[in-house]
Amino acid sequence: MVPGATGLSRRRKKVYSSAVQTTVTAPQIDQSQADQEVISRVLAGNRDAFGILIQRYSDPLYRHALGMTGSPDVAEDILQLSFIKAFQHLSEVRGRFDAWVFRIVANGCKDWLKNIRRTHLSYDEDDQPTGYANPEEDLDRTELRSDLDRALQSLPASLREAFIMKHVEGRSYEEMADLLGTTVGALKMRVHRAREALQSLLEEKYA
Amino acid sequence: MLDNDMDRGGDVSRERPNRPADSETTGTGPDREVPLNSHATAEVINRWLDGDTAEPTGLRGEAARSVEFWRRIGEETDRRRRMATPAYLSDKIMAALPAESPHATPWWRRDTRMSPGVIVAAAAGLLAIGALIASLFAL
Repeated sequence: MVPGATGLSRRRKKVYSSAVQTTVTAPQIDQSQADQEVISRVLAGNRDAFGILIQRYSDPLYRHALGMTGSPDVAEDILQLSFIKAFQHLSEVRGRFDAWVFRIVANGCKDWLKNIRRTHLSYDEDDQPTGYANPEEDLDRTELRSDLDRALQSLPASLREAFIMKHVEGRSYEEMADLLGTTVGALKMRVHRAREALQSLLEEKYA
Repeated sequence: MLDNDMDRGGDVSRERPNRPADSETTGTGPDREVPLNSHATAEVINRWLDGDTAEPTGLRGEAARSVEFWRRIGEETDRRRRMATPAYLSDKIMAALPAESPHATPWWRRDTRMSPGVIVAAAAGLLAIGALIASLFAL
């Protein structure tokens, strides 16, 4: 049996959350109710209220799209199209809005990956200030960043998605299973395989 | 299996293979560090990265290099986790939304989802009603 975060002792939960900085999911019901209230306002004609949902969820969704595509421009486009789609179909939301809009973004990323033939994409360094004082350290970090990005892009989409959700978005396996509609065990396997692949690609240079 | 491993609470020294003959053949004493094999290393690292155990300490060789590698990757993924959406994007999305608010869809326009069992039951019910009407006309 694979243990979940919800079944961990208090001590293990502490170790767990400090190690991977897992998203706190406890107030999810309140959040869901708050989302429903905003959705009701939008459906009643208050178009501007949709901005609350954008503010609330754009950061994790942007990180997901950026991790999956490796391109800030593409991530922005996917996010924009996804929120427009969400707005147009807002009356069809059943259950949690965050899970629903995540699936729209995740599908948008997968569609883009299927259609595009990429040559070389990496983070735009000008857009992402590093804040490191030492130029040599800065250079090392920049190199690691682009190498990790390239290695991530070489992974199959399902492994990349699982790795990004776990390590970049800091989600728990339970949350990932909930969002992707699969089992914790399957996701652990994907994350472990992604780690194995990344390590074999990068360890010669960075270990 | 993993449950039992987790009970070790991150004490990776227990991961070492139990080989009492080592001290006899090499004469280095019972506390000598024994490198983990690659499978055990991967398991220890995965448990740590999954948050099940604390960061492993006292490792040597390949295992120590793996820990150092994932520490470096962790710094980079932490940085990415702090990334925020560009400030202008929210306004850009709002400007691109259709001018009119979406309206609640009436129930007769909503997509309906039915399980196979419900479909079979509904079909059987319609057949029964049809048969009843046909028998009424036959009279």
